[in-house]
Amino acid sequence: MNRKYGSQLFSQERSFSECICLKNALKSLITAPLEMLLGVKYGQGPLHIRLTYSESSKTIEKSVEREFDSTSKRRKTGNENGLETVELLNSGVGCITTGVGRTVVTDTSLNGLQHHQSSDFSKLLLEKVRRPCSFSFHCNRDPIYFGGRYLKFSRNVSQTCWMIDEERMGEASVEEIISSCILLMCRGDKYKFHAAGREDIDVRMLGSGRPFLVEIQNPRHIPSDVLVKDIEEKINSSRDKLVRVKNLKLVGSQGWTLMREGEAEKQKEYAALVWISRPLEDPDMLSISSVRDMCILQRTPIRVLHRRSPLDREKIIHWMKIERIADTSQYFILHLCTQAGTYIKEFVHGDLGRTHPSIGSILGCRAEILQLDVTDVKMDVF
Amino acid sequence: MLQVPMTDESAQASSMCTDSAAAQNGGSPTELKEVREVSGEDENKELRELLLPDVRNLPLAPPSAVEVNFVAYFAPDFMKPGHDHYVYRHPNGLCVVGLAPTHVAFRDEGGVTGVDFNVGKSDRSAIKVTGKRKKNAQHFESNTMLCKVCTKSDSYVVRCCVKGSLLEVNERLIKQPNLLNSSADREGYIAIIMPRPADWLKVKATLLGLEEYKRLKEQG
Repeated sequence: MNRKYGSQLFSQERSFSECICLKNALKSLITAPLEMLLGVKYGQGPLHIRLTYSESSKTIEKSVEREFDSTSKRRKTGNENGLETVELLNSGVGCITTGVGRTVVTDTSLNGLQHHQSSDFSKLLLEKVRRPCSFSFHCNRDPIYFGGRYLKFSRNVSQTCWMIDEERMGEASVEEIISSCILLMCRGDKYKFHAAGREDIDVRMLGSGRPFLVEIQNPRHIPSDVLVKDIEEKINSSRDKLVRVKNLKLVGSQGWTLMREGEAEKQKEYAALVWISRPLEDPDMLSISSVRDMCILQRTPIRVLHRRSPLDREKIIHWMKIERIADTSQYFILHLCTQAGTYIKEFVHGDLGRTHPSIGSILGCRAEILQLDVTDVKMDVF
Repeated sequence: MLQVPMTDESAQASSMCTDSAAAQNGGSPTELKEVREVSGEDENKELRELLLPDVRNLPLAPPSAVEVNFVAYFAPDFMKPGHDHYVYRHPNGLCVVGLAPTHVAFRDEGGVTGVDFNVGKSDRSAIKVTGKRKKNAQHFESNTMLCKVCTKSDSYVVRCCVKGSLLEVNERLIKQPNLLNSSADREGYIAIIMPRPADWLKVKATLLGLEEYKRLKEQG
């Protein structure tokens, strides 16, 4: 596949209205032989093959600088694979990538260019081409997406990998447990985990489960429906029983928008183990269960105030129910349904009065929360 | 015990995928529906069992949110005898400052009757701190005045005790000074301060832990 640049310059010597850029010329010449060689058809698809032709020459770099220094602006656009990408604007040269001893001309669009500039440039390239250029290729497939719902049974497992000062918090993460299993089966390069909301490390995710999306980048193998079921089985039958997955399936790229749609309006249901500073009485049951769409004002909780804006957030408590616990008088399970984004722990203990009303203020006593579980994430997805 | 309100949709949706019995039956719609309902009920039952705590493990009175989430420090006789302050420090670095139970103000007849944040050069309750970077927060020294606490007979100056950015004052105290009398260690807190890590280490060396503070006050 060694090819002299020379053969490509013919396209540059034509008049400007007929010019096509170097990259497209090369592409149209290579496509047919490649199709024959690989036994496939070229077209729009998930598999991409990138062919890179590079010319090693320090002198091109210097001449280009000389020619275009005064008339063009240079702009560093980034560092790709150790090469500095410098865009020469207003010079008619789309992109010249210069790096350590290598100069790669990846695109030349000669539209709207001064005549004398282009011919000068052509001269430059004509001079330099005596050696064949070097070639490399890289294959990449579009990412695939898995959707589903997860349950978390442990109070020591975070949703995403959580590190403080090189040390992991908790014993595992939902993200790693689910994604690494899928990544392995798909033989992909990397994964990205997204979920519809999150819960604290010490809060269990029960009931219907929380919708999540796993993006697998550059998968070598796309699993069949049967294999997807196998992946779900594998995750669910692990010895630890920390996390469970439901409804795992391949979804299109619209899975992302599906999950994000109306996330803020979604309601969530919780069950909290609450203690109050006096025995529970019948009037309390009524004052709690009679709540319908109650508005509360929550100041940014102290436990997140270091990294979030100090704001007053209005949230809605849709309904609440008390479930007594046999053999106790000051403990009960509080079932509640709230607007997305409500801080439940702070709603129970009041966060030093910064969440108002709170369970304590409604019942007129001190209230503490011992445990919290998410019992339902009301979303119509996965 | 009250019934847990579970919506029908959630019960059905979750039962559909885990329901291998229905798949095996492959039977009539009514059979399927029955199996689905039972499955939904099973899941309900499983959930309820998970939610119920073991009553034997429940303490008589659990530790409070403040006790669980903060480490309590004390600054006794801060700049003046009897002016005992507390500093509750959260693991995220924020410090809640307030009056310790042994503060002289509580000894006055009638307790605290008023709180005024307009001290020093500015009204502390008027500062608006915004954004993640806490713009507009005032940087105070540990001896900077936070507010004045008044009783029937006297008034006392409350100071920061911690050098750092003042994030928030408890402006509820203006209308409800009685919070200091009823719960100075919770709803009656004075302010929230964010010290730099280096400044915290310096001031921490001068503060007392809970046990030390108790011992000191029992002697005095």
